[in-house]
Amino acid sequence: MNSAIETVNLTKRYGRLTAVNKLNLNVSANTIHGFLGPNGAGKTTTIKVLVGLLRPDEGVARIFGQEVSGDKPDVRLRIGYMPELPKFPKHLKGWELLDIYGRMYSMSQQQRRDQLPKLLELVGLKGRENDLIGKYSKGMQQRLGIAQALLNEPELVILDEPSLGLDPVGMVEVRELITNIAKEGMTVFLSSHLLFEVQQVCSHVTIINKGVALVSDTIGNVEHKIRGPTTLQIEVTNLTNVLVENLKKLPFVTDVKTEDNKLNITLETREDVRPQVSETITKSGGTIVSMNLIGQSLEDVFVQLIGKAEEEGGRKP
Amino acid sequence: MTKKATRSTLLSSFLAVVRYELLWNIRKKKLYGVITIAFVLVTLTLFLRVILSNIENQPLSANPNFAADTGTGLGTFGFFLFALVVVMNSISGEFESGTIVPLLTKPVSRTTVFLGKIFAAFVTLLAAYTVLLVYLALGSSVIYGPQNNLHLLPIVLFGSIASTFVWMSIILAVGALSKSSMVAALVGIGLWLGLAIVGAVVGAVLGQTWVLAYFPGSGAAGYAPNINSTPLPINVTIPAGLQVSTGTDGIATNLVTYILHPSAEVNFYKMEFMIGSRGGPTYTFLNTETLSSIITRESITIAAYILVFSFIAWLALKRAQVAE
Repeated sequence: MNSAIETVNLTKRYGRLTAVNKLNLNVSANTIHGFLGPNGAGKTTTIKVLVGLLRPDEGVARIFGQEVSGDKPDVRLRIGYMPELPKFPKHLKGWELLDIYGRMYSMSQQQRRDQLPKLLELVGLKGRENDLIGKYSKGMQQRLGIAQALLNEPELVILDEPSLGLDPVGMVEVRELITNIAKEGMTVFLSSHLLFEVQQVCSHVTIINKGVALVSDTIGNVEHKIRGPTTLQIEVTNLTNVLVENLKKLPFVTDVKTEDNKLNITLETREDVRPQVSETITKSGGTIVSMNLIGQSLEDVFVQLIGKAEEEGGRKP
Repeated sequence: MTKKATRSTLLSSFLAVVRYELLWNIRKKKLYGVITIAFVLVTLTLFLRVILSNIENQPLSANPNFAADTGTGLGTFGFFLFALVVVMNSISGEFESGTIVPLLTKPVSRTTVFLGKIFAAFVTLLAAYTVLLVYLALGSSVIYGPQNNLHLLPIVLFGSIASTFVWMSIILAVGALSKSSMVAALVGIGLWLGLAIVGAVVGAVLGQTWVLAYFPGSGAAGYAPNINSTPLPINVTIPAGLQVSTGTDGIATNLVTYILHPSAEVNFYKMEFMIGSRGGPTYTFLNTETLSSIITRESITIAAYILVFSFIAWLALKRAQVAE
């Protein structure tokens, strides 16, 4: 699959602070790739290198195979970029801004006339396009930011924290919008600190902390690779040693602990094995009162990964 | 499917930046403030002789060359004010407000952004100065009778823009380097005030007129003895002839004078104040220089300032990293 974004040992420092540290990133074309990390992880710095606002100190960044270092308008022609909390000239009206940006993309007057109303409708700014941007709320500026990123129907859309400043309804709308633009064939690179947002809309994810990529894969693989063991908590009557021994003989059980009439069974599988466990307990003379499957959410994994990385001083696990 | 990326043409990008910048310029409240000040300055220039004639009880004489001799009527202060207002936040303001981020991530080279901003400043000045010159020409005709040499006003227009561009390029460079409109404004004001004060001392009192020719501003004052000028109707002792400024702000009126008097020569004097004596200062002759050589040097100095400081501003924008 072609790479929309590729970085090799990308490093960016601000004085003594290394914001991005030998980052290797590969975003396949036609995917929605989440770029997940806590505040200050190096997400925005990486993106600013990708869009040409910052020069890397070391390493290479490429967009569709073209190096981005330096002033490269031809590369930017293929990118739609929405900055984190975008700021636009307050003296311009929403329509004027999009019209001027459209001219910068060399869109014809007809293209602009066709595209602008559609975008304004899409981001929910229809009816407010003739107001000065200075009168827009933060949420409206955020929506305008999305509209200008999609102006040229770019091949790659880079969204830096698109939900920031939006109300809950707006956040849902943005997620739907991202899913829809991906269906149009655009590659979406979504930077976010909101795990559920990435989980809901992205097919791939790179988790970054302190400028270092901790993991990068499909959402499913990341969950599968790094989720910790699942535990079954079962309350039974007639809890006997035979029952416990029979449970331990099951191939997917790694440990069984007992406390009064409760069992804590540690599983090493991602499959739903509750029927087999239930059958073993019943055959061993026990009666199940309750059963809970306790697994780690991606959020737990994220927190665990970040914590682990912090413990190891930011080294890759 | 996404639209295939088409090459962004240089002209459409450039015109888009010009449009972006012009819309900003014409919506700046500061610009309208300066235009108001400019109208006041031009009106004062128009009516100064009327007021003084009334005070001195002298009849107001007709002057068919008033409009052509006066320039824009703005003087060095007006040029500086226009420069300050038009470009003090042209680049630095984009960094301060964060609007530089969406601008520089569009498929427009930073050089095009820079040139678009410069051209928009030129168009803004062209419009403002044209209006002022038309006002001055009409006012001159009404107050001082029919005017000659009005065809030379376009030279006044472009000469005044060149003078303003000297200040503009300095302010733009400071703004682009510091990324602060406040620093750009303060450095600009400091430089203008400093040169105005120091220049007066160095040129008139110390007699070092040649130094001032290489600094922006009004420069040293000389007098072309063979050109008649209508003296102000007040009792002041000044050398005879038309006053000529050697600094970068004087190019517009000097060009007009040169076209009307190609062989004009300019005398320079040292001004001396006698402590305890009554009356004005006395003038000691220093040297004579042809007007053509003054204009040549002025033109080279103006070009050098504009090119050097514009280059610095361009380089600062070209190399700028946007971390915040």
